Amino acid sequence: MSMSDMNRADTTFKYSGTVGMQHEEPLLFEHAHEAPESINLPGVDGEISAELSAFSRKQAANIPGLSEPETVRHFVRLSQWNHGIETGFYPLGSCTMKYNPRVNEQVVRLPGLAHIHPDQPEDTAQGVLELMYELQDWLGEVSGLPHVTLQPAAGAHGELAGLMMIKAALDARGQSQRRKVLVPDSAHGTNPASAALCGMHTVELKSGADGRIDLDELKAHLDDETAALMMTNPNTAGAFESDIKEICQLVHDAGGLVYGDGANLNALVGVARPGDMGIDCLHINVHKTFSTPHGGGGPGGGPVAVNDTLAPYLPVPRIEKHGDTLTLVNACDTSVGPVLGTPGQIGVYIRANAYISAFGRQHLHKIAEDAVLNANYVLHRLKDRYHVPFEGLCKHECLLTDEIQNKHGVKTLDIAKRLIDLGFHPMTVYFPLIVHGAMLIEPTETESRETLDAFCDAMLEIADACEAGDTEALHEAPLKPFRRRLDETQAARKPVLVWPE
Amino acid sequence: MRFLPHTDTDRTAMLETIGVSNMAELFSDIPGEFHIEKGSLEIADALSEAGIVRKFTKASEKNRNATNSRYFLGGGTYHHFVPAVVDYIISRGEFLTAYTPYQPEISQGTLQALFEFQTMIARLTGMDVSNASMYEAATATAEAALMARRVTRKSRVVMAGSVNPRYRSVTANYLSRLDGEYAEVDMGRHGTDLDKVIAAIDEKTACVIVQYPDFYGSVYDLAPLRAACDAARCLMVVAFSDISAFALIESPGAMGADIAVGSGQSLGIPMGFGGPHLGLFTCKQKYLRQMPGRVCGLTSDADGKRGFVLTLSTREQHIRREKATSNICSNQGLMCTAAATYMTQMGDAGLGTVARHSAAALHSLVSQLPGHVTAAHGAHYNETVLSFADQQARDRFLKAAQESDIFAGIPLEQIETAADGRHLLVATTEMVEEADINDYLAILEVAK
Amino acid sequence: MTIPAELKYTKDHEWVRIEGDIATFGISDHAQEALGDIVFVELPEIGREVNAGEAYAVVESVKAVSDVYAPVAGEVIEINEELEGEPEKVNTDAYGAGWIAKVKITSDEAVELMSDDEYTTFLEE
Repeated sequence: MSMSDMNRADTTFKYSGTVGMQHEEPLLFEHAHEAPESINLPGVDGEISAELSAFSRKQAANIPGLSEPETVRHFVRLSQWNHGIETGFYPLGSCTMKYNPRVNEQVVRLPGLAHIHPDQPEDTAQGVLELMYELQDWLGEVSGLPHVTLQPAAGAHGELAGLMMIKAALDARGQSQRRKVLVPDSAHGTNPASAALCGMHTVELKSGADGRIDLDELKAHLDDETAALMMTNPNTAGAFESDIKEICQLVHDAGGLVYGDGANLNALVGVARPGDMGIDCLHINVHKTFSTPHGGGGPGGGPVAVNDTLAPYLPVPRIEKHGDTLTLVNACDTSVGPVLGTPGQIGVYIRANAYISAFGRQHLHKIAEDAVLNANYVLHRLKDRYHVPFEGLCKHECLLTDEIQNKHGVKTLDIAKRLIDLGFHPMTVYFPLIVHGAMLIEPTETESRETLDAFCDAMLEIADACEAGDTEALHEAPLKPFRRRLDETQAARKPVLVWPE
Repeated sequence: MRFLPHTDTDRTAMLETIGVSNMAELFSDIPGEFHIEKGSLEIADALSEAGIVRKFTKASEKNRNATNSRYFLGGGTYHHFVPAVVDYIISRGEFLTAYTPYQPEISQGTLQALFEFQTMIARLTGMDVSNASMYEAATATAEAALMARRVTRKSRVVMAGSVNPRYRSVTANYLSRLDGEYAEVDMGRHGTDLDKVIAAIDEKTACVIVQYPDFYGSVYDLAPLRAACDAARCLMVVAFSDISAFALIESPGAMGADIAVGSGQSLGIPMGFGGPHLGLFTCKQKYLRQMPGRVCGLTSDADGKRGFVLTLSTREQHIRREKATSNICSNQGLMCTAAATYMTQMGDAGLGTVARHSAAALHSLVSQLPGHVTAAHGAHYNETVLSFADQQARDRFLKAAQESDIFAGIPLEQIETAADGRHLLVATTEMVEEADINDYLAILEVAK
Repeated sequence: MTIPAELKYTKDHEWVRIEGDIATFGISDHAQEALGDIVFVELPEIGREVNAGEAYAVVESVKAVSDVYAPVAGEVIEINEELEGEPEKVNTDAYGAGWIAKVKITSDEAVELMSDDEYTTFLEE
């Protein structure tokens, strides 16, 4: 076959696709040879105590060692089965999959930031404490909520810490009957789960016809048992809650507090501040807004920023500045206590500090501007061919549904899987729950117009195929990747979570 | 801005496509009173890439670190050797920049690595199953207590006073907003007194939480506790802080744990001033469906080929909302990949050497201590408490050691606030050489 | 979809077969179809007293989870342990091999029960 034949044979040439050199690779446990001898390790090659010897492990753990070249090849092959931001477009709504700058990876590995112990004397760790203190300040500035804790390890953990503070503040007002948390039906699932863990219960608010909080519905649920409203703004349909001032006022007048889920802060960075709008408490997903890598599921970081009302209740340890010295403060009578066993996901915060440093005061607003520009651009290129459940401007993400494609027997899942064959990671599907067949697209500020156009072309091509009745590839998709649709029923019915010995 | 691909030409063209005349119009749904002036935030001026490197290098150089000092610090964070391949693998963009593997067809790399991770963690801890990780050890301990309450439908939690005080305080904090009693059992010494723990169990008890090796590094037989838990129909939860121990000593599973939780930081993850670390969560097969967090499971694809997916997700917050087993939504995915790579590179032989060297260093140190310093009695793995005549003697030594680039231990009261000021929590790993121990001992003599 | 005439149905799509003082519980064909492939059934403990309308079991598919409510009050005397290994029986035979629990009726407390015709009409609405 000549080179030109091969090009013609490849119908996905227009997109990067997912064809390529992908090697099968067995499980570690299936490599059939004996483990090589131990790598050379430093240290004391001496006796252990007789007392300890009495507890010696009787059966080997059976961890299959591989030589260094085999270890590298094993995991490099595995890595090649993954799609990452560095591989291609990753428009997961509500996840803010932006480029993760390489310089951040470089600085976090500096020996004086990587190889330091949380309990070494504070005067030998002032450098890292300065970076953390500075980040606290900056997050306070960005959110308009000046007091910040870096303890929470992720967004959901931040929700828990924030609700703990809200509960403590209400208890301090002698209002310990306030245990009801209002949560819109468009909210992230973590919101009710966090409330439950905090000993509170949630009541769901039905969204209005425009996907936003319905003021009458809100008023109807506010009473003297209301502890808080948990809201995401922009909401999970990508729309800004323009009644935000009135919403916060209503909750405050009823004696409650407003918790902001900061998952969608990327739409507001440097442009507007939740604290100015009346939000009392906001968690910030630094793995979204401030570019720290998602790592296949984590680690994240969920610092919480609060106003003066909630400041006394911040978790410990807190990073404070006394004179010229930075210190970890471990005890405080009004604090809700520690929520983590360490000072926080420090390496994640070093990267977040670096991202903000790169933009600085001059450019920070461009994050939100380009993110919102990109989402509206995608929305406008697709709105005539895909159903848009809520009209109007979107913020950093746009919401479509499969209503039009449904008529041709094609569902959101099919569209998502077809995108994989065309070389894109799918958008968030079936969330938010308030519309049927949701497709939530968040392009982020780090994507070029060229990439957005290619994605929109792919979406339009799918819409064309539906209308032409050419839907087989959609139902079969994905055909290109290393594995096709996986049987989730089998996995859940007979769970196999470890490889048998 | 080098992270932003658009030129102003692009922006203008895109605004035109959208049908608005300028960027401000895109934000017209935000009430005008909330718009802030561009560049008005109190944030430092933008830095070039070179400027960023300079800034962070300067900060880094202010910190003493394990490449220029000798570390005898533990208490939940340990300075073990990290092979170069670990950092290389987790730096690969396909692992580093991927999201949670919700689209399994294009996430098989993360998923197979998680499956291998779960398998190796289960084997090392001697437990049936492992999840795909929690934030870190203290929150994992709290989650274990919550899980035991679900499994037993009882609400009282008994905690041994020899569990790391940070695991204890986070667990107590999590439980304090829920119904049910939390009872901490004072040990009265730097070790674990199982008789006291067992005496605290009653019929309302959902679980007993102990640490093994305990916070003070001591290793002890858990058989009496297993029997007591069986009698009271409660769960035995075993926490641990340095998993490297289980390449040498009997595992929590072999000791009969129902749930074992702890830190996996020792598996190829740098100390990093406390994070990101790796929380481990393992349990018996029969409790699987009450486990918090993500799990990866084996299945096959439409062509019958083997593959992996996140499974049992009905336990989780995005489906079960307020009735979920936990509010956790992330895991420490990249740290799992680091740990899997580390364990693969080490194998039984390497892990065994790490553990043996860690324990041998402690034994060498303790067996050569001068008369004015005493170490806790009994079996210890790689951590113990050294006691001085008084705080002055201890602090004199700490200062002298630091001047010789040795971090000689953590003042016990820094973690266990009630402790008096003459104790030092000391840990050793394979990164401690015989020469470091000799220096340590010499300073002990001089600073008497 | 089948709706056997000899059973009674609830608005939450459970069925109950009452024979003397013994009641057998399950979920309707409509319910299993709406849930999709059942992957797990959390069964009650034998000896548990359940009130009418109380959640006594949980049925899970891959992406959904549903509490199952008791149509009548009683003490659980038998559970369908076969569902532990083969939850798919709820899909394949909702009214037969897919039964969930049997209770000894302890009071005349019951939720509103429908006949097959009434349930058919209810589903059509």
